[in-house]
Amino acid sequence: MGAVVELRPRAKEDFTSLLGMMIALGAWAMMFGALFFMYAGLRSNAVSWPPPGIARLPVALPAVNTVVLLASSGAIALGIRSLRKGERRALSAWLAVASVLGATFLVLQVVVWRDVWAAGLQPSTGTYGSVFYGLTALHAVHVAAGLLVILLVLVRSLLGKYTEHNVMKVRLPAMFWHFVDAVWVLMFVSLYLL
Amino acid sequence: MEQHIHPEPKAFIWKYVFTVDHKIIARQFLWTGLMFLALGGTLAMMIRWQWAYPKTAVPVVGQLFLSQTGGAITPPTYTSIFTMHGLIMIFWAITPILIGAFGNFCIPLMIGARDMAFPKLNMYSYWTFFVSSILVILSFTSQLGAASAGWTTYPPLSSNVGAPGWGQTYMALAIFVTGVSSIMGGINYIVTVIRYRAPGMTWFRLPLTIWGLWLTAILNVLFVPVLGSAALLLALDRLAGTHFFVAGAAVGIQGGDPILFQHLFWIFGHPEVYILILPVWGIVGDILSFFSRKPAFWYKGSVFAMIAVTVLSAVVYGHHMYQTGMAPLLGLGFEMLTLAISVPAVVLFVNWLNTIWKGSLRLQVPMLFALGMVFVFGAGGLTGLLLGTISTDIYLHDTMYVVGHFHLTMAAASFLGSFAALYFWFPKMYGKETDETLGKVHFWGSVIFITLVFGGQLVAGYSGQHRRLFEPYQYTYLKHLAPLNRWTSFAAFALGITQLVFVFNFIKSLLMGKKAAQNPWGVPTLEWTQCSSPPAYHNFDVVPTVVRGPHEFADPEVKKKLGRDYLDQVEPGLDAVSESSADEMPEPQAIGAE
Repeated sequence: MGAVVELRPRAKEDFTSLLGMMIALGAWAMMFGALFFMYAGLRSNAVSWPPPGIARLPVALPAVNTVVLLASSGAIALGIRSLRKGERRALSAWLAVASVLGATFLVLQVVVWRDVWAAGLQPSTGTYGSVFYGLTALHAVHVAAGLLVILLVLVRSLLGKYTEHNVMKVRLPAMFWHFVDAVWVLMFVSLYLL
Repeated sequence: MEQHIHPEPKAFIWKYVFTVDHKIIARQFLWTGLMFLALGGTLAMMIRWQWAYPKTAVPVVGQLFLSQTGGAITPPTYTSIFTMHGLIMIFWAITPILIGAFGNFCIPLMIGARDMAFPKLNMYSYWTFFVSSILVILSFTSQLGAASAGWTTYPPLSSNVGAPGWGQTYMALAIFVTGVSSIMGGINYIVTVIRYRAPGMTWFRLPLTIWGLWLTAILNVLFVPVLGSAALLLALDRLAGTHFFVAGAAVGIQGGDPILFQHLFWIFGHPEVYILILPVWGIVGDILSFFSRKPAFWYKGSVFAMIAVTVLSAVVYGHHMYQTGMAPLLGLGFEMLTLAISVPAVVLFVNWLNTIWKGSLRLQVPMLFALGMVFVFGAGGLTGLLLGTISTDIYLHDTMYVVGHFHLTMAAASFLGSFAALYFWFPKMYGKETDETLGKVHFWGSVIFITLVFGGQLVAGYSGQHRRLFEPYQYTYLKHLAPLNRWTSFAAFALGITQLVFVFNFIKSLLMGKKAAQNPWGVPTLEWTQCSSPPAYHNFDVVPTVVRGPHEFADPEVKKKLGRDYLDQVEPGLDAVSESSADEMPEPQAIGAE
């Protein structure tokens, strides 16, 4: 037995962490699911959506923002791919790209809020305003939290904490990031497009 | 999976405060939970006082906290009291005691793990819970009074119009924060049971306690987030001026929908009642077997019944909303699913009765509490059928009958089950024995008075008394219920006084209890057979290899050869114990064996 070298010494621990993260994301999905349930309920109650006299939400800037966030997810995925090959510097670079894109998303989101606010839609403007600000704000909080985590991972990556043997430590925060992105896509489609 | 042995921290702060040791975290949850149980109990006594002697000064407590009115309860104070009583008992008393304390304590010890899968997450879970406790206390101190919209927190009662001030807002936030804590705990429990069972501890060798706690954790992780969402949206309505749940003239263009909150609340709320009872079912299933010295009757049936209840609990929430203008066909569906839960519930119940049937019962304190739980849960379950059925629910809706029913199941059954667990595991937790006589006094007082209190509520409700009335007797048709309510209150006060016996017993046992043996009850599960009392920091010096289920009792061969009536989960079977005698009589060859 002694001669057998375990190729992936952390495989079992990794799976335990992965399981924990998947269950946590399941809980998060239930939380956002409840928000969408509430949104669907309010919208099906409404006679018209948006209510008469209120302009539809803009689509162009949020669409750009969707691309930004998806690109950021892609950057992290590429970073993990590099790490698997042992290219640690590439990981740091991709993480930096991802965090810049994440920050850009937040800035653009603030711009969207400002424009919509200036156009006269406020949280207290009926359920249309409540749903828009409520859902996007709760999502933005998650992006901000995710961004902090990604920045932390970036710092640790620069300090050389990650190798091809502990990829899971980058994968877990990345899973959260992808999850937040997926929620955003649902929000973009249901809030802005439909 | 192998867990390493870490050195035990020595400094007080790392050993007892910011600890990652599941056994200490369990004690933290236990103590916080017991404190809130006392607080919630005091609030209950105040409600009962109001119903026995309306608008008169409350003795002792009134002088301390209601000095402005000379000790009497005013209507706004009254609404705050019953609201806080409900919320505190559910989220800050039963949940931390049953799930926080016994979940943390039992899961690693009973499955043969050295700690939880994520010890640090476990620590965060407690301290998140602690933050929510502070928010509860803040709610009491806020200027316009504590939360007052009822434990269900329905808007518009819980909107800024119905409940102005920070009291209600603090509670909405507290519910969210304690929910986060529950989810963290739930993730930990689920993963620990999946990944850290000792070698040989198959799913069907798990004690029923673990099954109950594990299924509870699943419900927690799935449905507490829904409540979290509802609480967040409510907080947004109160703080940011959104209109999710506010409707009417004040809103203008397009109002929200208060009924939506009820949907979100009960999507969580119905699984929640099973969150509060599933651990008890498991614990009682084990204790009945341990103290009847018989294997648990149809173990797999109990497991599948608990799984069935877990699944069904997610699809019956509509029976809380029969009166909200729900489509009749939808109501019928919910009624059918609700009544379907009786089937697995009766399977469990019959299994309990069959477990104790012809057993050699040892009527020690944990067993008494377990039997008491079976009794009150039976009563609570049967009274529930009338509420699950639409035709009778329309009459009984929002009466004291509902209060009596859910107190028998969620309060009485969870309460007696928690104490069964506490008396049972106390020697393992603290390494001290509790006083048997005081325990019995506590039991008889509790079970008799708790049945009288909630039985009295059932009768009052059946007679038409609405729940939450400040002074029921100002209505002519309820005047004659004053004596009934007063006697119910006397039973409640007696119940409250009985708890002082427990407090005395608990403290006395902690300070000068007799040192507990390793396995004082003589039971086969890992925490008693493999760990000292209290267990070492790393629980097991050697992670045990499990060879059989948790209820290996009443085998006459074992009794003859070992002199005791059980085989623990780890020791080798009789064949190995009595090899010499086995040699004399060669085992008959199975016919047709290859």
